[in-house]
Amino acid sequence: MYTALNRKRNATSPNVGPSSLPYEQTEQSKNEPKQMIVLEWLFLTIAPCDAAEPWQLGSQDAATPMMQGIIDLHHDIFFFLILILVFVSRILVRALWHFHYKKNPIPQRIVHGTTIEILRTIFPSIIPMFIAIPSFALLYSMDEVVVDPAITIKAIGHQWYRTYEYSDYNSSDEQSLTFDSYTIPEDDLELGQSRLLEVDNRVVVPAQTHLRIIVTSADVLHSWAVPSLGVKCDAVPGRLNQTSILVQREGVYYGQCSEICGTNHAFMPIVVEAVSRKDYGSRVSNQLIPQTNQIAEA
Amino acid sequence: MAESATAKSPSLSEQYLLKGKEEKLESIKPVEETPIENPVSASEEEVAPKTEETPVSVESSEGAPAAAAEESSEASDATAVESSEAPTDADEGVSGAAPAANEGSSESTEEEKSGDEEAAEETPEIKLETAPADFRFPTTNQSRHCFTRYIEYHRCVAAKGEGAPECDKFAKYYRSLCPGEWIDRWNEQRENGTFPGPL
Repeated sequence: MYTALNRKRNATSPNVGPSSLPYEQTEQSKNEPKQMIVLEWLFLTIAPCDAAEPWQLGSQDAATPMMQGIIDLHHDIFFFLILILVFVSRILVRALWHFHYKKNPIPQRIVHGTTIEILRTIFPSIIPMFIAIPSFALLYSMDEVVVDPAITIKAIGHQWYRTYEYSDYNSSDEQSLTFDSYTIPEDDLELGQSRLLEVDNRVVVPAQTHLRIIVTSADVLHSWAVPSLGVKCDAVPGRLNQTSILVQREGVYYGQCSEICGTNHAFMPIVVEAVSRKDYGSRVSNQLIPQTNQIAEA
Repeated sequence: MAESATAKSPSLSEQYLLKGKEEKLESIKPVEETPIENPVSASEEEVAPKTEETPVSVESSEGAPAAAAEESSEASDATAVESSEAPTDADEGVSGAAPAANEGSSESTEEEKSGDEEAAEETPEIKLETAPADFRFPTTNQSRHCFTRYIEYHRCVAAKGEGAPECDKFAKYYRSLCPGEWIDRWNEQRENGTFPGPL
């Protein structure tokens, strides 16, 4: 059932995926969509995009150490999960199988047994420990600000768009580098852009640099979440939430609002574009110059 | 590492906190090792005087050797001959701030340095620096951090006079941390005399 649906979906709309990168377009130009569909269907997450895709099962590719830690923790815990699942189902099936009025007319009545009681006490208390220790280690390392960040970006949620402020380069209280980021309406999408994920102004950040993201809101609760970066930070009006990230590779990362914030909750995505430090510098200075000129004129 | 650190006896007691955390995280994720050193060296080269945490009381000359000690001790970790380096570092430290700083930066690996310098050359006006992590505000909630920096700036201006150069960094900090809307509101409140903070 799943496979049939999956194949159908991919066959009818190979373009639905988060194929915003030129990579996918070159694939299409090669006229080999069929092969790609099969491959994509086999490996589910073959598209090199940092966005959600149809029928995705696992996490998106990690771009920060934090996300890598989250994925590793997930796999760690999954090991115990499967262990317990197999063991418990074996006991259950075995009990059901043998509890039969013909095969075992007189059921065994074990009231207590020291060995099994010790075992079933010790093991269930050890397993949570093995889960808890890496979990807490990850949890606290996420909170820690290890080194001084190089850049502070303020992400301010509004109903229903986002404002980003780069204020490290300000010389007065006038905001010199501030922009709004709106989603691109469905009708204006270009070929290859993802529906409900694309915005007009992306957040440009340098890769391999410690960033401090200050998340806040101007009206109601919002959330700034980018799965590939392992970030999900609630935006609370009147409060500045800090999260620090280090993007390890250049790329475009997609995220969505993750806190029900009203009618257009689904239409305020987040797009983070990680570029090299040099490109970031020129980008910022290019944006700064026209804006400061505007201020000077006004 | 501990050996050379004790030999130097870093003058700043604050240096401590972040250093300890850095080691801890490095041990968890070796992946981050290179990026961690990057900003340290960058901040040291570009804004050596600005790296210290505490506002007015700490002199800038104290900050430089402390940062240098941190870096050189990191570098000595990598090399096997730790004992031969430690005394030279200590001598440098005694002789003065400037040579110690030079020593520290020259020991950082070549590619990092060249990368930073390249970035600095390409875009002279864009410096990658912002308000440092403050050990008074280690939590996720940074509202008070922003508020405190705003107050610190205006107290500094009140004490040193308008346009005093030593207040500039507080201005930078609060502009980095506070949303523009908040700053506008507070400025308005100060003009009206209704600002709630201790100015």
